[in-house]
Formats: sequence, structure tokens, C-alpha cells
Amino acid sequence: MNVFLYQDKDTFFHRLDPRTKIFILLFSFFLTIFFKHPLFLTGVALFMLIHGYLSQCIANILRVKFPILLIALFSIITWGLSVKGTTPIWGRFSEESLRYGLAVALKLDSMIIAGIVFLSTTRNEEISSGVIRLGIPYKVSFSLSLALRMIPTLIETATTVIEAQRSRGLDLRSKNIFTRMKRSIPLLAPIFLTTIRTTNQLAMALEARGFGLSKERTSYQEIRFKGRDYGVFVILLIVALLIGFILLRG
Amino acid sequence: MLKAMDSAVSVKNLSFRYKHGREKVLKDLSLEVPSGSMLVIMGRSGAGKSTFCACLNGLIPQLIKGDLEGEIRTLGLNPRDRKVADFARFMGIVFQDFESQLFSTTVELEVAFGLENLGVPRTEMKARIEEALRKAGLSKLKGRAPSTLSGGQKQRLAIASALALNPTLFCLDEPTTDLDPQGKDEVFSITSELWKNEGKTILMVEHETEEALQAEYIALFQGGALKEFGRAQEVLNNIDLLKEAGVRPPEIPHLFHLLGDYPLPFTKEDAIRRLSSFELDKDLSSGLEENDREKERGYGNEVIGIESVHYDYPTGVKALNNVSLSVRQGEFLAILGQNGSGKTTLVKHFNNLISPRHGKVLLKGEPIQRKSIEEICQTVGLVFQNPDHQIFCERVEEDVAFSLRLLGLSPHEISPRVDSALKAVDLESLRHEDPFSLTKGQRQRVAVAAILALRPEVLILDEPTTGLDYLELQRMMELIQQLNEQGHTIIMITHSMWVAAEYARRVVLMKEGRIIADGKTREVLGTSGKVKEAGIKPPLMVALSNRMGFTALSIEEMARCLKRKSI
Repeated sequence: MNVFLYQDKDTFFHRLDPRTKIFILLFSFFLTIFFKHPLFLTGVALFMLIHGYLSQCIANILRVKFPILLIALFSIITWGLSVKGTTPIWGRFSEESLRYGLAVALKLDSMIIAGIVFLSTTRNEEISSGVIRLGIPYKVSFSLSLALRMIPTLIETATTVIEAQRSRGLDLRSKNIFTRMKRSIPLLAPIFLTTIRTTNQLAMALEARGFGLSKERTSYQEIRFKGRDYGVFVILLIVALLIGFILLRG
Repeated sequence: MLKAMDSAVSVKNLSFRYKHGREKVLKDLSLEVPSGSMLVIMGRSGAGKSTFCACLNGLIPQLIKGDLEGEIRTLGLNPRDRKVADFARFMGIVFQDFESQLFSTTVELEVAFGLENLGVPRTEMKARIEEALRKAGLSKLKGRAPSTLSGGQKQRLAIASALALNPTLFCLDEPTTDLDPQGKDEVFSITSELWKNEGKTILMVEHETEEALQAEYIALFQGGALKEFGRAQEVLNNIDLLKEAGVRPPEIPHLFHLLGDYPLPFTKEDAIRRLSSFELDKDLSSGLEENDREKERGYGNEVIGIESVHYDYPTGVKALNNVSLSVRQGEFLAILGQNGSGKTTLVKHFNNLISPRHGKVLLKGEPIQRKSIEEICQTVGLVFQNPDHQIFCERVEEDVAFSLRLLGLSPHEISPRVDSALKAVDLESLRHEDPFSLTKGQRQRVAVAAILALRPEVLILDEPTTGLDYLELQRMMELIQQLNEQGHTIIMITHSMWVAAEYARRVVLMKEGRIIADGKTREVLGTSGKVKEAGIKPPLMVALSNRMGFTALSIEEMARCLKRKSI
């Protein structure tokens, strides 16, 4: 089973310099934080989806469709119930509270989609060399990419442990959340211990291949801004100016 | 005796105790590894083989803490004076667990990692990566993600990553234990090439005796000390010594040892020549098949039946393609096939861990979907390959009792069941111990006991002997055989052909999600050409006995049925 997000494709976005991709990600986050109205936020979400479509990673976004829907529902309901509004619709729901809930839902989902598009188009090594070039020390950036590397391993371990305990009669499907929590203890210990063992192994393998030896570490990947990177910056600048213009007018 | 300069590794009076460890793992060990040689280290689990390897490049005591005494020279360098990372240029190390030593997103970047650390300029790097990948036979897979490679390819990639740094010494710690036979061959052919053509010194820890025959020297470790060191053939034809050290003797010398025909031959060709002075005792060999038939009469009703089952992985790859199988009560079945042929996916249908896309799974004649988890786990027990994926309690007996508590049994129902399960796996004396302080073989038996306590009729074991030493393996297989004799139906996945040949009474061969042969062990392994079609090697004894006009499934059967020609 492939649990990595990265999609080995050759699209415009895949070819960008990792620093540009990091910038696009931050810009996307900025957009989601900046807007408050659901209408604009729908626009932002569409923008993310188009970005995903052009980077050929819609399949990855669909893989998390349930969490995305769940987050949307959850925020609409909780904010809908808790925010006080002046135009009641039904029960404690008001026009204002629903609008706010919808806005939060769109913000969170847009961020998730932007993150997935970023991880689908950028290799771990690219992220790490990208952040190094942005001035982050190598060891910090390498830890970041190792953490990303460990996620699929963790998921695989968890899947196997769940199957092993189910074979021993452990039924995780209980309606009661406390029973479920209690029943997950037999899962946590093996997952935890297996992960520690893997991490120890990994540490030894890293050292044995010269990790942290030379101060002048070289990089096999070449990172260089090209025409398309400058193009992206120009487009993002225009978008930012347009937004500013719209805001000033309205 | 060799001069110090001629030794790639020279160790004198080496002792080591792990921090928090009760006993020394290495005790006064002295060993010289000649430069440019290939040495295989063998011995029981816990004999100190891996510990020895970790001392050579400073992993002990720098990353793994403890008390280290004695003198170590690796390529003339003292590992205590240098960082582990610094040793990467001189000594490459490859571990058993190939998953956790690869961390890059492409094969090419994986090999680049070490070169980047050494500060090799980019222009030079490209050539060195290409050379290393070519020698490991991975050039075509340069752009692939390591996670998509087969086990053998992953281990070759780990070798290539070390090779790119151009070390003169390679230390491989059980590199083939977790691989299928094809993967094992791949790794051995590369290491012997590095030794013969590249002049590297190879140090390898290995359980597989047949492969160790290719080595130049063998070091037998026992209880943290060197028991024997010598030319591979000399050590490996000392059958009694090997048995004493807990190492499986190679099949050919072992056979001739039993036949009392000395000096012992090593190669298949020699064996065939020497067998010409023996002939088959027809009375005894026909008795073998009679025996097989006798056992088959004792089988009961069908316990597991699957009919035209199809299953696809989420990625769309076909894992099972129209598979049908019927297992009767009391059978002992081995499922063989290469990695990825669908063996594990198949057995996961037997206890409803996965449901087929098409087709039926019947448990004692009823659709398995209609049964509850409680019912299923008391009929079918599945022991996973890695015991550490299921053990979680602080004491052995608690772990064994876990499933029984889930079923809501009362304490006085639980304790006799725990007792008898622990007795069956011979762990009564360790019942109060922490499972994580036990050896792999013992943990494997805890896992079996935990399933046995549920008293399932069917016991499924996924590679129950992987990573066990010869004595642990024999013990495990004797246990499984006993359980079968007591009436349990056994379904076992294994890569070890001789284990399947010696113990199973029925063999199912799988290839690319299909069953390509299913029948009595002697017929499937002996007479059909399906074994080769499945991409696995027929057992050596089968190949030799076929030349003598019968099918022997073990060395003992072979030796028993042969007699010297009267002149």
C-alpha cells in the first residue's frame, strides 16, 4: 500500500523550485486567514482545487474526503451553535453563526487542501533543501523530512497491530467512546515500541552513512530559480494587488 | 598466525555488557578477519554476533551504551577514537531491517545521502551514484521510490548506498533473514561479487548454512565467545560441532554423515557422483507413501472453505485472482510462494480480517461474515509474523490471558487455559517475566500461547520461523507438529522449503494471486514442475532423491531409504 502523498508527476508545479512551492503554500495560508466572508473563501477553496487539478493530485485530495467533510460539518455545527447571532433561523442557529461556521469550515479545508497539494508536488528532500536555502540549519530541516518519512511507517505499523489484535478477539467497533479508548491500549504499546525500535535502527543507519560528518555538506539536488519561478511570483503579486484593490473599493 | 597488517578486523579479549543488561553479551572474544576475505559469522541468537558487528565501527559504545573492554582494530583504526559517521568511508554496514535503513524518496537520492554527508562535489557524485547502482543491479530503478521495491531490491539498495562511499570493508548483519529465497539469492550474488571482483572484505552474519558454503571462512560464536574459526568447508563438515553451536548443518554433508560415507562432499555434483554407489531400498521408500496415505484418513470435515475469491488492493493491484481452497479438520498445510504472491492476503480471509471483493468464505460451512469476532477468534487463530505487533502486557501470563478476559471468562476458567497454553509452548517457568526481556524465539512462543489460550480449531502461522536460530526453529516446529497431532488444523506460510517439506502434509503453491498447485507435499514438491513455475527452489533432498527414483522430504528419510550397493 502506498501511503506517501508525493505523486511522481511532471507538471508545471512539480518543476518549480521548492522555495517557490513553500511560498505558494504560505500565500495560500495567508489567503485563508485574510478573508472572512464565505463567498470569498469559496473562491479561495476553488483556487486551491484548481491548483490541485493542475498539479494532478486530485486523487490525493479525494483520499481525505471524509476528514474534509467531517471537519466542515463539525465546524458548521459547533460554531453554528455557539456563536450568538441576531437573525435566528432554527433553534440556536442564526444566519450570522452559520455564516461564521461555514467560513471556518472553508478556511480549515482550504488549508488542508493546500497542504496536500504541497506535499503531493514536493519531495521530502526538496522540502528539506528548500528550507535550508531559506536559512534553516540542515539538522532541523532533516528532522522535518524524517518526520514526514516516518508517517507512512507509523500508519503501516498501526494497521498491522490493529489486525494482530483483532485476530485475538479485540473488537474496536464499540459505540461507547470510553470503551473504545480503553480498548485501544493494546494497540498503543506495540505501536509505540515498534516505532522506537525503528527509530533506533534508523539512527544507526544514518550514522553509519556519515550523517553529521562534514561541515561542508554538499547537495545532489540542484536548486535554482528559473523563469517559471519568477512567473509565479509575478502572478501572486498581481493576485495580491487585485485583492488589495477590491478591498479598497468595497 | 596472520600479521596485524593483513587483518581487516582484529579484536582481542573483547567483552561487552549492554547498559541495564545482566550478563556480558561478549566474553573475552578474540578474532582476526583476514583482509580481502569473506567471513560468515554463525551461531545461536544471543551469541553476540550483532553486538560484535556494532563494535567494529563504534556504534557500540557511541550509540549503544554499555561497558566495553578489550582491543578493537578495524582496518588498523581504533573505533573508540573516531565518530561512527567518520567510519562510513572505511566500513559499510547493512542491517537486517531493510525498511528502517532507507529514508529517501528515490533510489538515486538514497545513494546520494552518504556522499552528501562526506561533502563530495555534485559533479563527482553523479558518477559514483551511477557506479554503485550499476554494481548493485539497480540502474534501471534509479527514479523509483524505495518503498515500492521488493525486499531483495531494498537490501541491494542499502548495499549500494554503502558502496558509493567506497569502503574496503562490508559488514552485513543478517541481511537476508527477512527476504524470500529469490531476495536471498540477489543479496548473496552481490556480496560475493564485491568480494571476488572488487576485492572487498565481507563480514556477514547469517543463519542460512547453504549460503555460508560460499564463504571463505566461518566463525562460530557461542555464548559471546569464539567457538570455532576456520575455512568454511572444514567448519561446515563438522556436523556434531555445528549442532552443538545451534547451527543447521548443510544438507549434503549432513546426508553423507548419516550415510556414514566419508570424506563428506559439499557440492551437488559431488553428491550425485557419490550417490552412484548407493541404491534405493524399495520396501522402505514405498513405506513413505503408505505412511502419507495413512495420515490422510484421519482428516475430519471441512473447517475453512473459500470459493472463487477475488481481492484487489486499494491501489488496484490484483492480490487474489479466483482462489478456491478447502481445508479439512486435522490437516497440516503449508502455503508457499514468492513475496507478493498473495499468501498473507489469502490467510487474512480465513479470520475475516479482510473480506473478498467477490466469492465466498465459509467457516465450518457457514459464511464467515455472519459470525461475530468472538466466535471467529475461538475457531481460527492467526499468529502474525512479528510477535512484537501483538504483545503488550508487562507479564507473559497477562498477555496470554488477554483474549480470555475480552471474552468475559471468569478467573477460574481463565487460569487453567493460561496454564495449559504456557505448558504447550514450554514457557511455564517464564510466566512472570516481562515479554520484552525474552528472546525473539521466546516472544514468538508467547504469541502462539496467546492464540492457543483461545483454543482455536485452526491455527494459522505467518512465517513462524523467520529470524529464529536452528534450535529455536526446531522447537517451534516441534510445537506446531504436536498441536497438529492433538487435533489442531495447521495452516503455515513459510519461505523455508525444507521446513515445508519436512513438516507439512499438504502444500499449496501460489503465484501472482493464484493457486497453481495444491496437493500432498510429496506430490507437489516431488513430481510436479510447479515449484519452479512458482519461482521458488525445490528442496535439495527432493532433487537428489528424484535421481534415485523416489521423493524424500527430509535428510533422515533420504538416509533411511538408501543402502550401499553390494558389489
